[in-house]
Amino acid sequence: MRRRIPHSLTAGTILVAVIVLLAVASWFWLPFPIDDMSGGRLEAPSWHHLFGTDKLGRDLFARSMIGARIALEAGFFASLIGGLVGVTLGLLAGFAQRWWDSIAASLLDSLIAFPTLLVAMLLVAAWSASLTTAIVAIGFAIATVIARVTRLLIKRVLNQDFILASRASGSSWPRIIVLHVLPNIWPTLLVALALQFGLASLSEASLSYLGLGTPPPNASWGSLLQEAQATVTTAPVGAIAPGLLLVALVVGTNLVADGLREYLDPTLRRQS
Amino acid sequence: MIELRGRSERFGERSDWLRRRLASLLASLAAASILLFLVVRLLPGDPANALLSAESTPEQIAAARRLVGSDVPLQQQFLHWLGQLGTLDFGESFISGLDVRAEIASRLAITVPLTLGGFVLALFVAVPVGYLAAARARSWLGVLIGNLSQFGIAIPVFWVGIVLTFVFALRLGWLPAGGFPLDGWSERGEAMRSLLLPVLTIAIVMSASLTRYVRSATLDVIGSDFIRTARAQGASYGRAMWQHGLRNAAAPVISVLGIELATTFIGAVVVEQVFALPGLGSLLVRAIAQHDYQVIQGVLFVSTLVVLCSGFVADLIQRLVDPRLAATRAGHAR
Amino acid sequence: MKPTKSIVRATIALLTGALAFGISAPAFAASTTDATINIGSLYEPQNLDNTGGGGQGVTEALNGNVYESLFKLNDSGKLTNLLAKSYKISADGLTYTITLRSGVKFHSGKALTSDDVKFSLSKVTAADSLSARKSAFTVVSSVATPDANTVVIKLSNRSISLIYNLSYVWILNSAATDFKTKADGTGPYTFGNWVHGSTIKLDRFAGYWGPKAKNKSVVFHYFTDATALNNALLTGAVDVITSVQSPDALASFKGTKFKITNGKSTTKLLLVFNDRVAPFNNVLVRKAVSSAIDDAKLLKSIWGNYGQVIGSMVPPTDPWYINLNKVNPYNVTLAKKLLAKAGLAKGFTFTLDTPNYDPHPAAAAFIKSELAKVGITVNINVITADEWYTRVFKKTDYVATLQEHVNDRDVVWYGNPDFYWGYNNQDVTAWVNQAEQATSAAKQTTLLKKVNRKIAEDAASDWIYLYPQIVVASSKVSGYPLNGLNSQFFAYNIVKK
Repeated sequence: MRRRIPHSLTAGTILVAVIVLLAVASWFWLPFPIDDMSGGRLEAPSWHHLFGTDKLGRDLFARSMIGARIALEAGFFASLIGGLVGVTLGLLAGFAQRWWDSIAASLLDSLIAFPTLLVAMLLVAAWSASLTTAIVAIGFAIATVIARVTRLLIKRVLNQDFILASRASGSSWPRIIVLHVLPNIWPTLLVALALQFGLASLSEASLSYLGLGTPPPNASWGSLLQEAQATVTTAPVGAIAPGLLLVALVVGTNLVADGLREYLDPTLRRQS
Repeated sequence: MIELRGRSERFGERSDWLRRRLASLLASLAAASILLFLVVRLLPGDPANALLSAESTPEQIAAARRLVGSDVPLQQQFLHWLGQLGTLDFGESFISGLDVRAEIASRLAITVPLTLGGFVLALFVAVPVGYLAAARARSWLGVLIGNLSQFGIAIPVFWVGIVLTFVFALRLGWLPAGGFPLDGWSERGEAMRSLLLPVLTIAIVMSASLTRYVRSATLDVIGSDFIRTARAQGASYGRAMWQHGLRNAAAPVISVLGIELATTFIGAVVVEQVFALPGLGSLLVRAIAQHDYQVIQGVLFVSTLVVLCSGFVADLIQRLVDPRLAATRAGHAR
Repeated sequence: MKPTKSIVRATIALLTGALAFGISAPAFAASTTDATINIGSLYEPQNLDNTGGGGQGVTEALNGNVYESLFKLNDSGKLTNLLAKSYKISADGLTYTITLRSGVKFHSGKALTSDDVKFSLSKVTAADSLSARKSAFTVVSSVATPDANTVVIKLSNRSISLIYNLSYVWILNSAATDFKTKADGTGPYTFGNWVHGSTIKLDRFAGYWGPKAKNKSVVFHYFTDATALNNALLTGAVDVITSVQSPDALASFKGTKFKITNGKSTTKLLLVFNDRVAPFNNVLVRKAVSSAIDDAKLLKSIWGNYGQVIGSMVPPTDPWYINLNKVNPYNVTLAKKLLAKAGLAKGFTFTLDTPNYDPHPAAAAFIKSELAKVGITVNINVITADEWYTRVFKKTDYVATLQEHVNDRDVVWYGNPDFYWGYNNQDVTAWVNQAEQATSAAKQTTLLKKVNRKIAEDAASDWIYLYPQIVVASSKVSGYPLNGLNSQFFAYNIVKK
């Protein structure tokens, strides 16, 4: 039975694809080299410079393309780290019993008490700000969220009757995990990760805005927004364009997450 | 496997759970304290730098080091700090000479109303709107809300702050662009005016994500067996939703609320920067840049305390509300 | 209906009273000496002790306002007597006899005596002092207090800058113990309240020995975000901004509601070479790099039409200023020629350690782009202020870096081979020492002019531009300092309509 692909999945994929296209293209072609400062100061958009130029005369469209690359890198790697670490931790916590369980639960709770921003600040204090420290910090935050979700999911699955039945019929735990637990939890996890992807990009932008992420002269969208803030009344495009691209990416990944949820969840029925 | 239990049995179980949960809360706090201390002390970089200028001589550098440095071994410092924690005395900052506890208290006077205000406002919006979006998922209203909330999550918080400042403070002049009154909360009206835009900023961003959670939790419930069973038993749609839907939908939302509160508590630092509010987040940012150990430890401890407690409260509420969790105690799945 | 009548009566009485109050309100406003001035700044002090790491902000808020020195450096750069009524210098220049003004009281009520002066000076020269001016007083061999109104300072060598240096020594109350969170000075304001992260309030001191401040109180509002600071001025939350950081925001202050003034600045942006290590130990390479960078274009990008290009460390306000812009002019051909002469025609690569706060990242990006045109590859390494202090300044473990230097009269640092840029020229070192021991200001000026020219010819560093000193204020206020020399901001003459 082929299910219809939900609208949100299509729309989201298109949005994300546009950003991916920009990022991939930046490997092969840029309208201007990134260090090129030949443009006038804060020029308005024109055919020559699609988004105009910044204070130093650099082409903003080229910088936004690099920004797309950085946003996607941040989203992908942070989600990867967060997913792997989080699922592992969540599995361990989910199978814990009695007071190990309480300890695991409170440990996960206290880890959440260290929000992304804080971890990023501590990492930057230890090593200088860079995309790597931002990714590690965001990955850590994602891991705590995924770990919590995984643990809850596993607890729910383990309470089901068919688990007891499997155990009663002699299946080993690893077999049960692979045959029963993982198939039940991966749809929800995938949706959660898709959601975290967009949020990771957003976090990277916020960190760069505060100066804790990708350092200049790299052109993270967050840095572009921060630089453009002072000139928002005289050269608004510089402040609007990177923001819109960021919104597009996050909305896109959220739509993909929504669509995946609809597509994968067999119990979800439309209200008649 | 829902077993029916007598009231006294359930109560016994609950207080049992309560005791265990409280114990784990204290354990978390202890673990967090150790973690905090280590993390802060292991930060590379010289705290003495904050006190120096470009004209400093080597002797001055050594003197600064002695002033802020630790000639006492690490374990002794840790024990000293633990002792201080017992009396909630966080010591003095060696950079500013401030009493850390007093400083944290005055910052909390801004951060707590800011966070709670944004939170409560967001809830007020998110719960009805999210429910509406789920109940009318196929109508134009549901789709509109769904899309708006998509948009809302994607917007960076500082953007919202900048736009609100531009419209309400600069163009219309109705509210201050930032800052907090000189005499703090004794100028109650002025203080509230100063917090209005920041609270709104936080609420807008938070309500977008909360709406989505409420909506998806409600959608889950709508399609679930509870509702169909209740309706089959003759309850009206509304009644079924109210009695069964809400309780089941609330559980995942409540657990998310705990996380959101945690993130906002210190995440509000961006809002504090845009609106020039002397809150806890900006204190922490400055302290980290200067390696002001006492302040960092104090702030982290307080914020961890707040987060752990709110997690505890969320758990408690969840247990009271979610029938599934309450019942599984009886199941004892191996 | 009696209750209603009385209510109506009460309301009328209230309204009339309000009206009367409203009518007399302008009368209050006309008395301008009772205004509260709100000042916006980005530089919050770290503590209140300028020998204990208070930072730039403590000078801005407290110098001349709460604390006073023996001598005052006024906004035009002239030294005048303040707590010193007069002073005599012996013929050999080794003994300074300073007579204190009488009748001066600290805010706590204690009278000023020579013991307080001796105490204050010892605090600057103490072993654990973190004062930026400490090394200026190594020449002091003893401080004596023959009577309550006289201080005798004996030097081991002549020091022509002693009076100037003394203008930085705050006269503290020798009986005080806490200088970090309390401030008991002799100035026209008492230290009121400090809400950390937000405001510092100063209140007019009724018992001040000199002319009373022209406003009742001053509140410094601190921001970490320049846009928030600008918004505060736009909405009237502050009346004046002490130092604007970007010219683009100035567009919103056009018109009659605000006044923009461009004063004299002493802050310079430097591309600092580590003169000890290759390739910058070679003067040809330094000159080549200096000539390869279009300083004027960078200045225009960052500051628009404000600020000016400089050719050396000395700002126009120092007596030994010479216009040396032509010594290492912007000339790409010349740069390539010099590189070839140094044997580096193919160019080279170096790491530029860049502080992460404005304007250094933008400057670094610009420099990278310019030097690429002559074949030099720049690796930009963005670092925190903390790392800058530890690695670049203390360990001098760097090849080149960017930094802004704020003070005036700091060309003398080139006479110290141990300073972080490691410029070591025996002639310059000798001239700097001789200048300090000069017998007249004219001789000092001649010697320092020689130093000035030599370091420019040697391209000891690359002095990119001089910041503008832009003060923006509401048109309702006047009397604020325009030049803000060395971060001072005297508030006592500010009046508000």
